[in-house]
Amino acid sequence: MSFTKHERERLRDILKRAYRGKENLELGELRWDDLRDSLRSADTIQPMPRFLMVFAQFVWQIAPVVSLLILALTGVLLALDLTSGYDVFQVLMNGREESTLSQMLGI
Amino acid sequence: MNNDACGPSDEEIVVQVLSGNVNAFEQLLKRYQNHVLRIVKKHLPPEHVLDMAQDVFVRVYQSLPTFKGESNFGQWLSTIAARACYDFWRKHSKFREFPLSHFTEKQQVWLEETLSENSNQSFEESIFQREAQEVLDWALERLSAEDRMVLELVYLEGHSVKEAARLLGWSAANVKVRSFRSRKKLYNLLSKQLKGRRRRR
Repeated sequence: MSFTKHERERLRDILKRAYRGKENLELGELRWDDLRDSLRSADTIQPMPRFLMVFAQFVWQIAPVVSLLILALTGVLLALDLTSGYDVFQVLMNGREESTLSQMLGI
Repeated sequence: MNNDACGPSDEEIVVQVLSGNVNAFEQLLKRYQNHVLRIVKKHLPPEHVLDMAQDVFVRVYQSLPTFKGESNFGQWLSTIAARACYDFWRKHSKFREFPLSHFTEKQQVWLEETLSENSNQSFEESIFQREAQEVLDWALERLSAEDRMVLELVYLEGHSVKEAARLLGWSAANVKVRSFRSRKKLYNLLSKQLKGRRRRR
């Protein structure tokens, strides 16, 4: 069951007035002494330096682009054939006492 | 409320406080205590109002260095008060600290009679008003902190989506969607109660 338009309007009107009626509750005044104590023990927050605010804004603005870039580079790195480079390195390292300068230079 | 006729303006007092005259803050307290109490009374249960109003003023004091005077002081303070109330409900709904009340037979009768075409009840009657507040509280305590705040600000107080977004620090689109959903939830909650009663008859 849902309310008709008329019922919704009437309900809203009544609930709005009930809500506004809360303003008139008599609850007494603020406890000034407690409040003064709380304020005395509270430090005011030092404002963030302007350059830090600009930097913080900048960092968040470029964060999505940087994340995408990291993902893309990871993909590229995984797709590269690293094994062959490693093998060449191993060969060079193992046979280094036999290799001459001319061999290394490919002459 | 912004300025006393012969006293310093709010902005001047803020400058005084920030330059070391901490006692000047008391002028702002006195100027805005009713404003803050009015806001907090509408959002919170009566037993938490005074503590929260106090907390709001401590937050205002701590945030004074961030007040740039772009909006007037009253608006800025309203934002802090609304967000403090939202924090209250977020914290309390997370830990479910308040027991949920029941929708009584009396409230069901009240709701049905109120919505009937030939209802002649006057809102000025104190009993009628009390029932309305109980029904409203019953429904609100079943909503999330987000739905509750948006419903109160937009549906019950009549703030525009833009104003509510500014008060809560959310995007206007978020407030718009929340506003629609929370209203729907409210109607669903209340219509289920009527449905249950009609079925029993």
